[in-house]
This record gives sequence, structure tokens and C-alpha cells, in this order.
Amino acid sequence: MEKGYLSLILHAHLPFIRHPEYSEFLEEDWLFEAITETYIPLINVFDKLIDEGIDFRITMSLTPPLISMLTDALLQSRYIRYIEKRIQLTEKEIERTKHQPEFNQLAQMYYRHFTNVRYVFAEKYHKNIIHAFKKFQDMGKLEIITCGATHGFLPLMNNNINAMRAQIQVAVTHYEKHFGRKPRGIWLPECAYEPGVDQLLKEAGIRFFITETHGILFASPRPKYGIYAPIYCPSGVAAFGRDMESSKQVWSAKEGYPGDFSYRDFYRDVGFDLDYDYVKPYLHGDGKRTNIGIKYYRITGKTDHKEPYSHERALDKAAEHAGNFMFNREKQVEYLASIMDRKPIIVAPYDAELFGHWWFEGPDWINFLFRKIAFDQKTISLITPMEYLEIYPVNQVSTPSLSSWGYKGYSEYWLNESNDWIYRHLQKAAERMVELARTNLHLDENSSLRNKALNQAARELLLAQSSDWAFIMKAGTMVEYAVKRTKEHLSRFNKLYDDIRSNNIDVAWLADIEGKDNIFPDIDYHVYQ
Amino acid sequence: MDKAIIKEIFLLIFEVFKALYEILWKKIKNLFGLTWDRFFGFSDVSSEQATYQEWGVTDEDKWPSIPEAPPINLEEPQQKIERKEVAYLPKTPDLPDGYGDNRIVLMVRDPEWLFTYWELRKDLMDSVLNTLGAMAHTVKIILRVYDVTDIIFNGYNAHKHLDIQVTGGTRSWYIKVSEPNRSFCVDIGFLTFNDTFWALSRSNAVRTPCMGVSDVVDEKWIGIEKLYEKLYVPVDTGISESVFERAHRNWQESLKEYVSSPESLSGLAVSKK
Repeated sequence: MEKGYLSLILHAHLPFIRHPEYSEFLEEDWLFEAITETYIPLINVFDKLIDEGIDFRITMSLTPPLISMLTDALLQSRYIRYIEKRIQLTEKEIERTKHQPEFNQLAQMYYRHFTNVRYVFAEKYHKNIIHAFKKFQDMGKLEIITCGATHGFLPLMNNNINAMRAQIQVAVTHYEKHFGRKPRGIWLPECAYEPGVDQLLKEAGIRFFITETHGILFASPRPKYGIYAPIYCPSGVAAFGRDMESSKQVWSAKEGYPGDFSYRDFYRDVGFDLDYDYVKPYLHGDGKRTNIGIKYYRITGKTDHKEPYSHERALDKAAEHAGNFMFNREKQVEYLASIMDRKPIIVAPYDAELFGHWWFEGPDWINFLFRKIAFDQKTISLITPMEYLEIYPVNQVSTPSLSSWGYKGYSEYWLNESNDWIYRHLQKAAERMVELARTNLHLDENSSLRNKALNQAARELLLAQSSDWAFIMKAGTMVEYAVKRTKEHLSRFNKLYDDIRSNNIDVAWLADIEGKDNIFPDIDYHVYQ
Repeated sequence: MDKAIIKEIFLLIFEVFKALYEILWKKIKNLFGLTWDRFFGFSDVSSEQATYQEWGVTDEDKWPSIPEAPPINLEEPQQKIERKEVAYLPKTPDLPDGYGDNRIVLMVRDPEWLFTYWELRKDLMDSVLNTLGAMAHTVKIILRVYDVTDIIFNGYNAHKHLDIQVTGGTRSWYIKVSEPNRSFCVDIGFLTFNDTFWALSRSNAVRTPCMGVSDVVDEKWIGIEKLYEKLYVPVDTGISESVFERAHRNWQESLKEYVSSPESLSGLAVSKK
């Protein structure tokens, strides 16, 4: 019988990036890289565990923008083009490296990887990998939780309850459409909570969310079990706190696994390393060197000199690290169980894209970890937060503190000199959206154009609210794109606001932006009333 | 006399008068106009400049009422955006400088810092300055930050307040309150040389988050001390790096430092933590 539980949570999210007005678009690659390196490798791990009858539990947030992109026909067909180009390049690479066995082996590994990914994507799951995740959920192995509709940072919405509610409600409706039931949990965008948000979750039927460590540690009254058991907010929604120890082992620069010298180096990519004319056909139209996803070196050390990558050696390391992680959790659980009068839960959330994209061996590490937990020990069991609540339905009532998982733990990363200019516009637009919804409560049958314009206004507002834009402005790379997206959606919103109020809707223009910003086709603007 | 010379003299006299007129006009503008003009300019001036800040006690006598803003005509045309620019050109559209509002908004950044932004209506400022008459040219624009923790604030009963003078073209400000778990609101207005404050707008109230383990204990759920000893490192000022520094961020940055060439940073990387 286990002494405690481990809940592994992966937050899978990318901002909504889809540009039908261009034949190809650099930022769309973010999705394609994540499919190739993270989502499909994870699907393969889960499928294999199930085939072999090995039990596991994992929780994943699939955000509405990510689901929207993964189910979008245009992006699906563009992904096929993306992966086929890579297959073609690896074929050339096998030929080019035929006299260099170390690299040739790797070229063959990438060829196998890309062809497998193509098969899983196009044939096994018919271009819609959401089906795979749904399948795992229906089998009880995976708990899919939702997120804000467009990953809007709720504590910076200035208490515009309607705008915050729309982020939650639109996400819940969207989830229901794709998974056939309501979500039971939510990953709050950027893990950002402020007291009162739980009330909106309650209204939406959500049972639990995850907060940053100090969200629970600084909760009031003081939580008896710290972060090792959930608390109930006054609304009755449960809050689970992130465990620092397990986070650090994976993320930390000094102690973190992904920095091991045997692992693949993210930054040495053939897009930069090989002869320009040779790789040019695989770059974007502007011919600028970018990552292609074929990387031949291991991290090697704190040096520019890189040794060729050995996949076998890296897999051995991943198995060793999985063993180490499990050992530490066992020790942690044994200690916690000795001072607690119930079984502790260790909540370990990570960005999904860390696994595979950044840390190439990450999905293998999860694979090893789940197998070891199943066969090599008896101290811990994998669990989802919902299952824990079923075992322990009685929990302390306490209000978590404002917190996020961003730099310094509050809102600074999303509110500083690089991005604070957006809030006066976002807040105004949110107020105007509420005004539009309230002044258009009932439309008659002849108002289908007005109805369309109102729904599009809601989409533009939601897209502008995505926390990714503020994040990118602060991070300092691709800033121009984030600024452009923010301004574009807000301008479209403002024009819709003016057109709706003056009853002068531009039909052709509306159809154009409906085609571009086509997220949430079934949205109903009344959510803002 | 030569006609041309007479013409030159006339022109010269005209120029002298023109210059005198301009100097005079500038003076008049300085007296009445510039006080508000700078608050309509759009500027990215960093507002975390060191400003002398000192808490004071609200002085009832010097507290004037907030002038009523004229009602906004809802049918008034808003800033129109050229359709073609938005829809069909790849150019990034500009957002309006303002929305015709008279308001100040307060937001929380962390336990120590607040952020405020504002937009003031010229007609409203005019009417206040007119009332002030000759005193108008001496006014300073200030933010008056009130500690309104656990009270129903009526304008006079704040626990304490803090005045911050704001300067040239600024439309937003970071306010260091350094006080977790307290409520604040802010007024923007004119402060005259004799310390009379004329508020132009009052913000919403916000509460800073607490930054420590709660003293409130539920008798049925007495906290297990050991769970807190291990995790929480109390600090005097600022936020404990050991507790709050995001480990994953750390990892990414050091990867960039010593394992990599930053120019090859992938797009996906920057969109994530």
C-alpha cells in the first residue's frame, strides 16, 4: 500500500497563431515543433504503456488556443508539409553523412523519428491528435484540464468580473465540445490566482486548480498540511499547491536533469550549422537561418566545443534520472507521511513543451519514471488531483494568496515598463465588450450580421488578452510580433465596437477577419452580459 | 525716399511686432496652458524614477470635493480608425492615445508595488484651473495614495496618505508602497502652493497580497510546523530568492549563457517560461 501520491501535471499551451493570409509563417513553426518534439512523443509513450498494460496517471492542461490550432484544417495540412520537408532533409542527410558513422546513425534516428511522427499524426490519428488525448482520458489514464480561453492573465483584468468569467466560460464550453464532458480542473493561465477567481470557477463547475507554492503557503487561515494536501477556497473549489523540491530537480540550472552533458544540445541545429545553400530550401521564405529540428550534438559541457550526440548514452541517463527522481519522491513521501495524519500528495507541474522540445529526452524520462513507479517500489502511487479529492473529500477551508508562477511569484513579468501600455487598452476593450453585450441582449431575426459582429468582437478581445503577448514583450525576442498582435486585435475590436454602435457593419471586412481570427467558431457574446 | 526702403522698414516693424506678440502669447500659454498640455502627451517615460515619497496624514480641512465630470455623450463619435489600414495593409495599426475618459486606474504588481495609469479630460482640468484663478500657475500634479485598509473610505478617513509629484507627459506610474496585505486607492489632482488638493479623479481600491505565512489559525486544522520550517525562509525586505526565484527560468537562462548561442533561440522558447 502506498504512503503518498505523486501528481505529474503538464501544461500544454501555445498562443493562437494562424496566418491564412501568408503561404507560410515563421511563428506557426512553434506549433509544428511542439507536435513533432513534444505532443507526439508523449502520445507514443502513453500508447506504449497502455499496450503493455502498465498503469499510469497524468494530468495535462490542453489550452483552448492549442486545441483550436490542433483541430484547424489549414494548420493540419501545413503541418504535413512541415514534417514532409524534414523527412526529405533527413534522407539527404543520410546520404551526406554516409562516411561519418556517428552522424549517419543520428540522421537515421531523425529519419525514423520524423517518419513515425508523420504516421502517428496523419494516419493513426487522422491529423487530429486531440483524439489521442481524448482516448487516454476516456481510458482513465489522463485527466485533461482546461485553461483560460486565450490564456489571459486574470489578476491583471482589474476585477472586470465579466471579462474574467468569459475567459473561464468560453474555455469550458470549448472543452465540452472537444471532450464530450465538462472539465473538472483548470490550469489558471500563468498559474495566476487572486482571491475571488475561485468563485468564477465554481460557477463553471470546475472542482480544482493548481497554484504556485506560496499561493497555498500564504493562504489564510494557515493550511495545516502546507502544499501537501489541497485546501478548499471559500467557494468550495480545491486548490493544489506546486511542490518546489520536485520542480527544482527538473527545472533548476544547477541541479536540473535537462542540463546533463549527455543530453542533446538544443542550440546546435543544422539550420545554423550546415552550408547555407544546402539548408536554404528548408528555411522560411525570407531565407533567415532558423532551427530545423535536426541536432547532432550533446551538451558536452560549459564549452563551445560539442561532441556528437549518442542517443543510447542519453537514454541511459534519462533512466538514471528517472530513478533518481523516484528515489527522492519516495524519501519525501516517507518523511511527509511520518508527520502527517493522511497520505500526502506531491504536485509536480511543468510546461509540457519542456519535455521533448527543450529536453529532447524528456518524454523518455517520463516513460522510465512511470515504469519504475509501477514495478520498482511501493511507497508512491501516481494520482490525479481529482482522484485525490475522491479519497479525501474533507479538506480545510482557506483562501489562497495572490500568486503566479512567473518571475518573483506575482504579476511583474506581465506588468513592467516593456508591456504596461497594453492594460489601458485591454481594460477599455473589456469594458466596451460588456457594454456591447448589455446593449444587445436580444437581437431580432434580421440581426444576423450584428450577431456575427458581436461574436467577432468577443474573439478579438479574447485574442488580445492572451498573456503570451505581454510575456514576449518582456522576454525581448519576437517583440515586434507580440506588439503587432496586441494592436491588431485591439484595433479590430475598436472598429467593431464603433461599427456596431453606429449600425454600420462592414460586411466584407468582417468576413475577412472572421476568416483570420477564427478561434471559437461557436462563441456567444452573451457570455459578457 | 526709395519705395523699396520704406517697404523694408515696414516689414521690419511688422517682424518686431510679430516677435513681441509671440513672446507675449508664449507667456500666456505658460501661465495657463502648459500645466495640462503635458498630461495629454503620450510618453514612455519610465515612471520608476526616484521620487521623494513620504507618508502623511489626511488633512480634512484641505480636502476639496471631486469635481463632477461632464456627462459623456454616448453618441459622440469615437476615434475612427481607417478601415483600409486595419484590414488590408500589413502595417501595424496605431491605438488611440485616449478614449475621452477622465479616470485613474490602480493595479497590483506584487506585495510592494502598485501600478497606476490615467487619462484626464482637458475640459475638466480647465474648469478646475479657472476656479483657481491666479493660483493656477503654481499647481503641481500629484498622485495621492491612500491607505484604506479595512475602512469604508469617504475621502477623509484614510489611515495615511502619500503624495507623489508626477512630471512631463507621464500617464502612468509605479508606486512603491512596501506594505503587503493592505488596501490602497489613489487620487490624481492639483496641489496648490498653499497645500490645497483638488482631486480630478479617484481610482478603484486594491489590496496587496500577503507575503508571509498567515497568523490566522483554524483550531480544527492546526498547522504542522515542520512543513513550514522546511519551505519558507522569511526575509526582511523584498521577496526571498530561494523561495521565489523560478527555478525553470533559471535553468533556461543559464542554458543560454553557457551551453548555447543565443541567436539560435527558437521561437517556441520565447513563448514559454
